[in-house]
Amino acid sequence: MADVLSSEVVVIGGGVIGAATAYFLCKEGAEVMIVEADDLSSGASGACDGFVSLQTKQLGGHLEMARESSQLFPSIVEELEVDIEYNRCGGLMLARTAEQLKELKARAKKLKAAGLDVETLSPSELKERLPDVDKNVKGASFCAEDSQVNPYKLTLGLAQRAQEMGATILKGCKVENIVVTNNRVREVDTSLGSIHSRRVVCAAGTGSNQIGKMIIVDIPILPQRGQILVTESRDRLLDHIVSGAEYLGTKANLAEFMPEDEEAQKLGLGFTAEQTASGNILIGSTREFAGFDNNTTPDAINAIARNAIEFLPWIKDLDVIRSFAGLRPCSPDGMPILGTVKGVKGFYIATGHAGDGICLAPITGKLMSELVLDGETSMDIEPFSLYRFK
Amino acid sequence: MEVMREVWEMAAKGAVAVLVCREQIPCNPCEEACRRGAIVVGEDICTPPRYDPSRCDGCGRCVAICPGMAVVLLDRSPGGGRARVTLPYEMRDAVEAGGEAWALDAEGVPLGKGRIVRTAKASRKDAAMLVTLEVPEEWSLKVKGLRVRVMSLEAPQEAEMPSRDEGRTVCRCEEISCAEAQAYAAMGFRSLGALRRYSRIGLGYCQGRFCQTMLAGELQEATSRTPEEVGTFRVRPPVRPVKLSRLGGEDG
Ligand SMILES: Cc1cc2nc3c(=O)[nH]c(=O)nc-3n(C[C@H](O)[C@H](O)[C@H](O)COP(=O)(O)OP(=O)(O)OC[C@H]3O[C@@H](n4cnc5c(N)ncnc54)[C@H](O)[C@@H]3O)c2cc1C
Ligand code: SF4
Ligand code: SF4
Repeated sequence: MADVLSSEVVVIGGGVIGAATAYFLCKEGAEVMIVEADDLSSGASGACDGFVSLQTKQLGGHLEMARESSQLFPSIVEELEVDIEYNRCGGLMLARTAEQLKELKARAKKLKAAGLDVETLSPSELKERLPDVDKNVKGASFCAEDSQVNPYKLTLGLAQRAQEMGATILKGCKVENIVVTNNRVREVDTSLGSIHSRRVVCAAGTGSNQIGKMIIVDIPILPQRGQILVTESRDRLLDHIVSGAEYLGTKANLAEFMPEDEEAQKLGLGFTAEQTASGNILIGSTREFAGFDNNTTPDAINAIARNAIEFLPWIKDLDVIRSFAGLRPCSPDGMPILGTVKGVKGFYIATGHAGDGICLAPITGKLMSELVLDGETSMDIEPFSLYRFK
Repeated sequence: MEVMREVWEMAAKGAVAVLVCREQIPCNPCEEACRRGAIVVGEDICTPPRYDPSRCDGCGRCVAICPGMAVVLLDRSPGGGRARVTLPYEMRDAVEAGGEAWALDAEGVPLGKGRIVRTAKASRKDAAMLVTLEVPEEWSLKVKGLRVRVMSLEAPQEAEMPSRDEGRTVCRCEEISCAEAQAYAAMGFRSLGALRRYSRIGLGYCQGRFCQTMLAGELQEATSRTPEEVGTFRVRPPVRPVKLSRLGGEDG
């Protein structure tokens, strides 16, 4: 590595958020360097599902971001060389009880008022979209705009395209310190040497807290573990991305959709299923705070399997060939932290996307690029400011 | 260790199962296979099996079925400092009684040569063939695998690296050829895990058992990194495909 490295912008983290940020910055002609401690997608972005789900977002800025993001996907598909397996398949959220269905209906109404097309389906309407769903499922909400994507390929594709536009990607390069003088970022010290830069974007996922400490700012991010099962590959069995209402409960902390079972609550269990382009079905998932432990656990694996059978009985005949776990970067309210930091010019935060980072990556990248280069954004990001927690 | 001593004593009279399974993984075929109730996993399929050697008659069913290769049979009855170890063997090349094979330890390192005294076809189609090797008693407990291929008899370390003929299939599950694997390896991934996620090599039904060494070799070559730096596939449960119903606690 050369003695003196410099870049107009340094993006810390080669996950989907860092890659999207670099991609949009490069599109605007900025000189960008991605600094990644391990490998691209080695964090949450390489250990997650690929839901681009709108109906699961919280009303307000969160949903707005998701909708903007969803609209950016088609052009990204066009511009990337990697096939990111984007599929606008529509998403189903299943209700197990009449109360859940009622709540889903009420929610659909609000989402509709916010401009999102969501309908509620009766059991027979649901059967048309999801044959062989368990007979106890009382109905579902359906959002045609919900989509799926291969998260790994999305991350790689964005990074690769950024690289083609001039970005430098340093892998195996860990950020160890950030030098701030006269209230301005000057230098990023890494395991491979120092990089002069006046603009740094922290997209370090669960490492963001550590990065914040370097400039004496608390970025309140905790790793939230999610465990997933992977089945053998099969011909098309699922035409939509599917989740259970409890998934929304554990994800957004909504009392009306919380699982009743105590163990499920403890695990943060919520049913999700999607069939990837390769034919495997990913079955999720849990939400646990277990520090940086990203092992899968027997309890969770069993609970996920049991839960899935309750929604889709036929799934029990599939072979599970793998399990994996990822650590979501989670803020106290589960929503992203975006924006600047008081008193340190040139430092930008883009993290805390919890379980929505894949879906929100395009809009996050775009907004960060606007913020870094113009100092203002096309969407109001005030609700995502770091200072909302104070 | 009490169980181990008991097993060792019992083996002086004839074959008995040696079970070393401590993984908390959802797995219980051994329990199902054992008709004498010597192995019990119980309700919670993730607990390691409990094993009562006094019930074992050395039939070897558990050896053939265990996906983790965690069971072998030990038979010290021949005496004279010799012992017989019965192991599962999954390769398709010919193994014949009377021949020789390398006995390998848990890491795959050859301990020395053993004589093949018996081979037995499995009764179930998904269970492995059983091969009985006679080896010096001192290392009989260390034997966890065997290698028969003639080439490897001469140079076992070398023979692990398969030919790099371009058309050769590296990953059978995903049908990825050697040439494709090389192209993936040259893309700049640092670790085997990252390369696997992208290329899908090793993400198929076999869970990477067949392709891992080959892919690691390609990546080492492409990046000039050491085997330690390249790493290995991370083993996550289940160790072999298992019906979801089993994980869910319902028997399927
Ligand atoms: C089980 C599971 C399922 C999920 N399902 C979905 C889904 O269906 N839809 C969806 O939208 N989202 C989903 N998510 C969430 C999504 O994966 C994350 O929100 C997203 O990947 C976060 O991206 P990121 O770039 O912020 O973080 P990461 O992908 O974790 O990337 C951060 C990177 O920063 C690097 N880094 C950290 N510290 C340093 C340092 N000091 N120096 C240099 N580099 C550093 C890390 O190595 C890492 O590569 C899921 C997550 C999990 C765990
Ligand atoms: S060798 Fe036969 S009897 Fe002994 S534990 Fe195995 S299956 Fe049971
Ligand atoms: S790994 Fe082998 S010994 Fe262990 S539980 Fe599974 S079948 Fe039984």
